[in-house]
Amino acid sequence: MLALQLAIAGVATGSIYALIALGIVLIYKCSGVVNFAQGAYAMLGAYITYFLLRLGLPSIVSVLVGMVLMALVGMVTERLILRRMLKAQIVSVMMVTLGLLIFLKAVCLAIWGPDQIAFPQIFPSGAIDFAGIFITYNYIAAFVLASALSIGFLLFYRFTSLGLMQRCAADNSRAALAIGIHVSNQVSIAWATSAALAGLGGTLLASLGGLSLGISDIGLIAFPVIVVGGLDSLAGALIAGFLLGILEAFTEGILTPNLEEFLRSVSNIQSVGALQQVIPYALLVLMLLLRPQGIFGRRGAERV
Amino acid sequence: MTLVVTDLSIHFGGVIAVADMNLEVKPREIVGLIGPNGAGKTTFINCIAGVNEPDTGTATWNGREILGLSPAELLRIGVARTFQSVVSLHDLTVLDVVKLGAAAHAHNAQGFFEQLFRSDHGRDDELCETLLKPLNLVDVAYSPIQTLSYGQRKSVDLARALASEPALLYLDEPVAGLTYQEGMNMSAVIRSVRDRFGCSVIMVEHKMDVVNATCDRITVMAHGARIFEGTPAETQQDPEVRRVYLGEA
Repeated sequence: MLALQLAIAGVATGSIYALIALGIVLIYKCSGVVNFAQGAYAMLGAYITYFLLRLGLPSIVSVLVGMVLMALVGMVTERLILRRMLKAQIVSVMMVTLGLLIFLKAVCLAIWGPDQIAFPQIFPSGAIDFAGIFITYNYIAAFVLASALSIGFLLFYRFTSLGLMQRCAADNSRAALAIGIHVSNQVSIAWATSAALAGLGGTLLASLGGLSLGISDIGLIAFPVIVVGGLDSLAGALIAGFLLGILEAFTEGILTPNLEEFLRSVSNIQSVGALQQVIPYALLVLMLLLRPQGIFGRRGAERV
Repeated sequence: MTLVVTDLSIHFGGVIAVADMNLEVKPREIVGLIGPNGAGKTTFINCIAGVNEPDTGTATWNGREILGLSPAELLRIGVARTFQSVVSLHDLTVLDVVKLGAAAHAHNAQGFFEQLFRSDHGRDDELCETLLKPLNLVDVAYSPIQTLSYGQRKSVDLARALASEPALLYLDEPVAGLTYQEGMNMSAVIRSVRDRFGCSVIMVEHKMDVVNATCDRITVMAHGARIFEGTPAETQQDPEVRRVYLGEA
C-alpha cells in the first residue's frame, strides 16, 4: 500500500520533471544550447500565475494566460539574446542562460520577496479514496495536466507540419535553411514552447508545495533527467522524468527510513538527511559512466 | 515567366568566380548549363538561389528582382532548387522531406494554428502517387533518408523541390553519381516534370548524353562567363566549346 502511494506521488512529480526536461531537450535539439534558465522559467511562470490569480482571475484563465505570457518571455529571450549570439561559442550562450537564471531570480526576489508564499488553491481541494489510498486532487490534476501536455506536445512534434519543420530544423539547421525553412522562426517557436511548458510545470509545482524562489531549482533536477533520457531524445526526457520522480518518492518513503533504522541499530548516526535529493545526481554519474548518450540518446550527442 | 540574368558577377577574395554572366530562360524551357570544373556554374546558381550575394548584376523573374531574396522567399514565389551534394537529414523519412517541400508552396501554406494542430498526413497518398511513383521512391516512402542509396537521395531531393510546385527550377548536377540507366530515367522525369508543371528549368550537369537528351538549349560557361549558347547539336559542333570543354579528340 505504501509502495503504491509512493508510486503515485512519484509519478505526479515525475510528470512535472518530464514537462520541464522536454523544454530543455527541445531547445537543445533546435539550437544546440543547453538552457540553464529553464528552472527560472518554471519559477517565473509560477509567480506570474500567482499574480494573475491574485487579480481574481479564474484558475483556468490564470494558468492559460500564464503559459501564453511565458511563451512571450521565451520568444523575447530568443529574439533579444540568442539571435544576437548566433556567431558566438555555444559555451558563451550557455553562460548567458545561466546569467538569465540569476537575473530572473533577482527580479522575482525584488517583486515578491524571499519568503515562501502559500499558493492559492487552483484545483478543487479534497482527495479520492482509492482502495485505502488517499490521493489528493492536487496530485491527480498535476499528473493529468503535465502528462497530457507532454504527450500532446510529442504528438504535435510528430504529426503536424509545424512539428515537421521543427524536426527538420533540429535535425540539420543548415540543410533546413537551404531547402527554404525559416530556421530562426523555428528556433523562436522552440524557445516559446519550452518556456510555456516550464511555466506550467512551475505552476503545478507551486500548487503542490507552495511558491518560492526555490522552484527554480527544478532546473537542476531536469539535468539528470535529460542525461538519463538522452540529451536529444524528447521521449527519453518524458520517460526519465517519470523514472526519477518515482525513484525520489521511493527513496524518501522506503529507503531513507529503513536505512536510518539500520544505521541507528549499528551506529550513532540518527539521520541520512534528504537522501532523495542526492539520488538524481547519483543516477546522473552512474549514467555518464555506463551509457553517456543516455537511454534513448544518439551516440555523439554533446555532453555538458 | 521569363528569367533574365544580366551582368552578374561575384568574387571570393581574389578569385573572380562569376564574371558578367548573362542568361535568359524562356517559359517552359530547359536550359543546360555546362562548363569545365571551376567555371562558376554552381556559384552562379547559388547567386540566383539566395545562397550567395553577387557583387553586381541583376536577375529578374517575371520582371521581379530576385537577387537578395532568401531561399524561403524564393520558394514562395515559385523558385525551387536541388543540390549537388544531397541534403543530409538523419531522422526524417522520404515523405517527411517531400512534405517540407510541399509546405513551402503558397497554395499549401497553412495558417499558424492549422500548422499547429492539423495532421500533416492528409496528402500522403497524393504525394506518393504524383511525386514518389515516377521517381521509384514509393517503396521507401517511410524509410529514413539516411538508409537510402546516393541515387535515391538525389531523387528525394528532386521530389522535394517538385513538391513546392515550382515555376522555375534549378537542378544542380541531378544525375552526378547515378548510373547511366538511372541518369536516363532522371532525364525523362525532368522532361515530364516540365511538361506537367510547365516550369522553366536550369540544369547544371556534366554528363553530356543526359544534357543532350534533356535540354532545349545549352549555355556553356568558362572562367565565370558565357562563352557559347545554342542547341545541343550546335553546341557539339562548335570548335571553341570542343576546345575548352568537350575536348578535341
